Amino acid sequence: MDPRKAETGKKSDQIQSGHVYHLALDIGGSLAKLVYFTKNDEHVVDSEKKNPPKKALGISNSNRNSPVLNGRLNFKKFETSKINDCLEFIKSMKLHLGGCQQPENPGSQTITIKATGGGAYKYADLFKEKLGVSLDKEDEMDCLVAGANFLLETIHQEAFTYMGDQKQFVCIDKNDLYPYLLVNIGSGVGMIKVEGDGKFERVSGTSIGGGTFWGLGKLLTKCKSFDELLDLSYRGNNRAVDMLVGDIYGGMDYSKIGLSSTTIASSFGRAISENKEREDYKPEDIARSLLRMISNNIGQISYLTALRFGLKRIFFGGFFIRRHPFTMDTLSVAVNFWSKGEAKAMFLQHEGFLGAVGAFMSSDKHGLKELLANQKVERTPSKLSFSMDQIQVPQKDWELNGDESIECSVYGA
Amino acid sequence: MATKGTNSIHRSSSRPLLDLSKAEIQGNVEEKYPTILLPNQSDDLSHLALDIGGSLIKLVYFSRHEDQSTNDKRMKRVKDKLGILNGNRRSYPILGGRLHFVKFETNKINECLEFIYSKKLHCGGWESHHADSTNNENAVIKATGGGAYKFADLFKERLGISLDKEDEMDCLVAGANFLLKAVRHEAYTHMEGQKEFVQIDPNDLFPYLLVNIGSGVSMIKVDGDGKFERVSGTNVGGGTYWGLGRLLTNCSSFDELLELSQKGDNRTTDMLVGDIYGTDRDYPKIGLSASTIASSFGKATLENKELEEYRPEDISLSLLRMISYNIGQISYLNALRFGLKRIFFGGFFIRGHAYTMDAISFAVHYWSKGTAQAMFLRHEGFLGALGAFMSYEKHGLDDLMVHQFVERFPMGAPYTGGKIHGPPLRNLNEKISWMEKFLQKGTEITAPVPMTPPGTTGLGGFEVPLSKGSTLRSDASALNVGVLHLIPTLEVFPLLVDPKMYEPNTVDLSDHSELEYWFKILSEHLPDLVDKAVASEGGTDDAKRRGDAFGRAFSAHLARLMEEPAAYGKLGLAKLLEMREECLREFQFVDAYISIKQRENEASLAVFHDLLMELDSLDEETRLLTLIEGVLAANIFDWGSRACVDLYHKGTIIEIYRMSRNKMQRPWRVDDFDAFKERMLGSGDKKPLPHRRALLFVDNSGADIVLGMLPLARELLRRGTEVVLVGNSLPALNDVTAMELPDIVAEAAKHCGILRRAAESGGLLVDAMTNTSDSSKENSPSIPLMVVENGCGSPCIDFRQVSSELAAVAKDADLIILEGMGRALHTNLYAQFKCDALKLAMVKNQRLAEKLVKGNIYDCVCKYEPAH
Repeated sequence: MDPRKAETGKKSDQIQSGHVYHLALDIGGSLAKLVYFTKNDEHVVDSEKKNPPKKALGISNSNRNSPVLNGRLNFKKFETSKINDCLEFIKSMKLHLGGCQQPENPGSQTITIKATGGGAYKYADLFKEKLGVSLDKEDEMDCLVAGANFLLETIHQEAFTYMGDQKQFVCIDKNDLYPYLLVNIGSGVGMIKVEGDGKFERVSGTSIGGGTFWGLGKLLTKCKSFDELLDLSYRGNNRAVDMLVGDIYGGMDYSKIGLSSTTIASSFGRAISENKEREDYKPEDIARSLLRMISNNIGQISYLTALRFGLKRIFFGGFFIRRHPFTMDTLSVAVNFWSKGEAKAMFLQHEGFLGAVGAFMSSDKHGLKELLANQKVERTPSKLSFSMDQIQVPQKDWELNGDESIECSVYGA
Repeated sequence: MATKGTNSIHRSSSRPLLDLSKAEIQGNVEEKYPTILLPNQSDDLSHLALDIGGSLIKLVYFSRHEDQSTNDKRMKRVKDKLGILNGNRRSYPILGGRLHFVKFETNKINECLEFIYSKKLHCGGWESHHADSTNNENAVIKATGGGAYKFADLFKERLGISLDKEDEMDCLVAGANFLLKAVRHEAYTHMEGQKEFVQIDPNDLFPYLLVNIGSGVSMIKVDGDGKFERVSGTNVGGGTYWGLGRLLTNCSSFDELLELSQKGDNRTTDMLVGDIYGTDRDYPKIGLSASTIASSFGKATLENKELEEYRPEDISLSLLRMISYNIGQISYLNALRFGLKRIFFGGFFIRGHAYTMDAISFAVHYWSKGTAQAMFLRHEGFLGALGAFMSYEKHGLDDLMVHQFVERFPMGAPYTGGKIHGPPLRNLNEKISWMEKFLQKGTEITAPVPMTPPGTTGLGGFEVPLSKGSTLRSDASALNVGVLHLIPTLEVFPLLVDPKMYEPNTVDLSDHSELEYWFKILSEHLPDLVDKAVASEGGTDDAKRRGDAFGRAFSAHLARLMEEPAAYGKLGLAKLLEMREECLREFQFVDAYISIKQRENEASLAVFHDLLMELDSLDEETRLLTLIEGVLAANIFDWGSRACVDLYHKGTIIEIYRMSRNKMQRPWRVDDFDAFKERMLGSGDKKPLPHRRALLFVDNSGADIVLGMLPLARELLRRGTEVVLVGNSLPALNDVTAMELPDIVAEAAKHCGILRRAAESGGLLVDAMTNTSDSSKENSPSIPLMVVENGCGSPCIDFRQVSSELAAVAKDADLIILEGMGRALHTNLYAQFKCDALKLAMVKNQRLAEKLVKGNIYDCVCKYEPAH
C-alpha cells in the first residue's frame, strides 16, 4: 500500500469520527507544531494485520487483556504567523476538547492543554480568548529532550544518517544512547547535552538557524514560504555567489591546509561585484548558498561542542531540517569535514516535533516511564497511557510537508 | 662656533682638529661608524614588501635613517674612555631606519604603483639607485596575497620588478609574531568601546590562536616562529558580510556598509529571546536575556515586509552581529580545543571598527563565561605585508627587541584612517601646502578636527580631507599606524629594578579629566611655542609659514587624541610631550629655544664664579644643603611651564633665581634631604665611602644647569665620585642637550679647576697646548666628568629606551640624580632603581602639585631612595 494515502495528515483530518484523546502544542517563533492522538477503531484491525509478529518488548502481549485504544499519533504544523489557522484547525477538529475529561461541562473547569515553545507564553491569551483553553506551559527544553529520548528509545528506525543521497538507519541501543548532543534547529539553534531522562544541559547554541535561512531568504528572494525556499535551494548552484578556495588560488587546491578548490572560502563572498545587483543573481543560487552557509555553520559548531563535552553522537532535529536531503547532506558533510570523518551527523525521523512530543508526554510522564520500565499499563482513568512496541513509521516522500501521523496503540482507560 | 684661541683650553668643535688624539680616534672610527654592517645590504631589496588583497594593497617598506648620532669628538672621547664602543654596536643586526606602513585600495592600484615609483622603492636597496640602474631588471619584491599572482604582470611591466610570492599564511604568522614581540603594547582588548592595551611577555607568547578574518576566516594555531597549523576556519566571514550586505542594501562599499551599522537597530530584523517568550521575559534557565539574539534575521520570517521596508542600517547591524558573534564563538571553541590561552583577531573585516571588535569580544566573553578575552592588534591590516617583509633572508629584524623601536606619528596621522590617495608628499613644502589647503577647505571647523574620510597612514600623500561636520567616521575609533623607527642602539636602562613592571608615566591619561587638562595645557602653550620656533629661525616668512603649519598639525594631533585617546597606541604624558617635539622637527624647527638657551647660559655663567666663591665659604653640611636648594631653585626656569613663562616678564633670570633661592624653606613638600645627607656625609664620625659614579639627568639650560646642577656635579667630583651628565639627544623645550653640555662645561671650567681637570679627564676638554698637557701630567689622574646622551628628544625619559652609551655608563653607577618635572615627576616619580636615587624638582603646576604631593605650585620635591 502507499503509505502516503494511508497515513498522511490529510487523511487523519478526515477521520472526524476519531475521538481525540490528547493534544499538545509546541509554538515556536516560526512554526506551531501540534501532536494529537485520534482513536480509530478500524485501524486496530489494520494494525494487527500489518504487524503480525510483534517484536521484542512483548508489551502488547502482556497487555492483551487491557483495553487497547488503537489509533494515530498525529503531527501537524502551522506557520506561527498564521496562528489563527492553527486555532481554526484545533476548533474544527475539536482537539481542544480532547484534553479534558469533562467535555459535558466545559464551563465549570478550565480546559488545559500542554504547550511549549515561546509562543506558549505569547499566545496564551489568544488561546484563552478564542478557544477558552489555558495553555499549561511546559519548559521547552524539557520537552525537547523528553521527545527525543522517547523517540530514540522507543521508535525503531528513528535515527538515521544521510550522506551523499544515502540514507542509513542507525539502530541505537537504548542502553548506549547517553550522553548525546541534541542539536535543535528551530529559528535559532539550541545545543543540548543529554545524559538521561530529565538530565540535560543547554551547553551551546547559535543564532544562525532556520530563522536566519528563512528570514534572509525571504529578503533576498521572492519566496513566499520556507518550503518554497528549500525547493529553490535544491535547484541552485552556490558557485555563483560563494567564493570558493579555487577562486582565490586560481583553481588550484590549497592542499597545504587541506582545502579543496571547491571548499567554500567565503559564503556570499562573490556577491560583491560592482556591476551586479540582487536581481542579477538567481534566487535558486542564493537559496542554495544560504542553506549551505547555515548548515555548514551549525555542523561545525555542533561538532566542536560535541568534542568539547566528549559526546559521541550528534542528533540534529528541529524544523529547519525538514528531512530536506540537501540540508541533511550539508550538515553531515560539515560534521564529517570538521571531525575528519570521526563523527557522523544523525537525524530524527520526527525532527520538528520533538518539543510537541515532549509536551504530549509531559501529561503522563510517570505513566509512560512505568510502562516502559515495568511493561505494565497504568489504569489511572484520568490519564492516558500508551505504549508502542513497534510504532510503524510511514516511509514518506521527502517532499511531504510535515503533516503526518503515526499509527500506534494506546492503552487507555 | 669660534674657537677661543686665547685660552689654553680649547673647546673642541665638531670640525676635526689636528690634535694628538687623532690617531686614537681614527683607530676607533671603524667601530664608531660601522655604516655598512651588512656589506651586501645595498644589493638586497629588503626594503619593500607587499600584501595585495582583494580590496586593499598593503605596503611595508624600510628606509634608512640618516645617522643622527653625534659627530662630536668630545662625545667620542667619552665613549672611548668608557670603552663602550666595542662590542655593542658590532652586534646590531642592521642600521637604524624606519619601517613604514601604507595602504592603497586595490582598485586604485595605479596610485600604489606611482607611490612606489616616486619613492624609488622599486629600485632596490638604499644605495642601488645611485648605482647601475640595470640592476632593476632583476629586482624582486616579496609579495603575498591573492593579488601577488593577479598583478604580477602589471608590476613587471610598469616597474620592471618581479613579485616573489610568499605563502599567505606563513606571512600572516611571521607578521603577527614580529609585532607581538617587537612592538610595545601591540595587542589590546576591546570591550564596550573601551580599549585596553596589553603588554605580552615575548617569552610567554606561544601557543596562541590567530584568527584572520578576510573574505573567509582562518584560524591558525601558532606554536612559534614558523611553527603553526591552520586548525579551523569558517566560510562565514568578511566576504559574507559584504556580499550579503551588498545584496540587501544599496551600499557601494564595505566601509559604507560598516558605517551604516553604527546607526542600526537589529531588533527590527533579529528575533530576540524576548520576541519568542514575550517581551521583557528572560529565559534565565539557560542564561539568556530577553535581548539575546535567538535567531539572526528571524524577525523577517514573522512579518510580511518587503526588503525595502527594512532600514539598511538595521540590516547591516544585524549582519555584523551575526557574523562577529559566530566568529567569536567558533574561535573560542577552537582555542579551548587546543588549549590556547590567547586569541588574536586580525584581518580586513575588523578594520579597527569598534562595534565589530565589541561584538567579537562579547561573543568570546559570553561563550567562555569570561575566562577568555579577544585581543586585537594595532597593525592588524599589515600582518601579511610585514610577514612578506620578514621573509627576506637579510631583513635583519629577527632579533630586534621591543626597546629598539620607537613609533612616531607624522603630521598626517590625525586625518587618516588607513588608505592613501593622491601623490606622495615629497618635501616639506608640499607638506605645508597640504596643511594650508586643509584649513581653507574646512572653514566651518576652527581647529582641524579630523572628522574626515580616511586619507592615508600619513607617510606619503594625502587626500585633501573634506569636513563632514559632525558625522562620525565609521572608523573614528580606528587606530593609527605610525612609522616604526628602528633604533638599534636603544637599550633598557640596566639599573631599573623591574623593567617588566616599569611604567614611566606618573599621570594616568586614561582618566579623561586628566587628558582634557593636559590637552588644554598643551593647547594654551602652543602659540608661545610657535612664536619661539619662528623666532629661532630668524622670523622669516618661511619660518612663519612652517610655524603655522606646525601649530595646525599639532592641534590636529591633539584633536585626534581627544576623539580617540588610543589612536596612537597607549597614551602617556611622556609620549604626548615627545610628540610635540617630533612635530616641531617635522617642520624643520631644529631647536625652537636655541637663542633663549644661549642667552640664559651666558647670563648664568656670568655669575657662576660668584656662586662658587659663596659655596666654598660654607662648611660641608651647609654647602650640601645649599647645593640642593640651588638645584631646586634653579629648576624654576622651565619654558614648558606656563607659570614660569610669566615670571620671565618680571625680571632677569638672575633676579628670579635669587628670589627663588630666598624662598627656599625646609621642610620641602617631599623632603628626604636628611637621609641623603647622611648617605653623603655620614653621621658622627662615620664617613661613608663616596659614590663611585653618579649619573646626573639634567633638565633645563641656563640657571638650571649652570647654577644648579654643575655646582652639585662639582661637589660630587670633589668628593671623588665620577660624574656623568646625561643630556637629551635632541632638543626638547629649553632642556639642555648632550651636544650643548661640553660647551657649557668648558665655559664653567674656566672658573674652576675641579671642573677643568675633571672635564679634561672625561675627554670634554682637549688640551692642544703642550704646557697644559705637562701640567695635567703632574697631577694624578683626575676623577672624570663626562657627558652622554640619553637617546631621546623629549622633556621626559622612558627608561625602557635609552641610548647604549647611557646603558653602558650606568653599569658602574651607584647614584642617579633625576632633575626636573619631566624626568622626576611626570615620569619616574615612582620608578625604582637598583642604586641610590635622588629625585629633585620644583613643581611648577598647581594641579600636579595637588595631585602628586598634595601641595601647591612652586613646592619642592627632594625624594631620596637608597638602592633597592
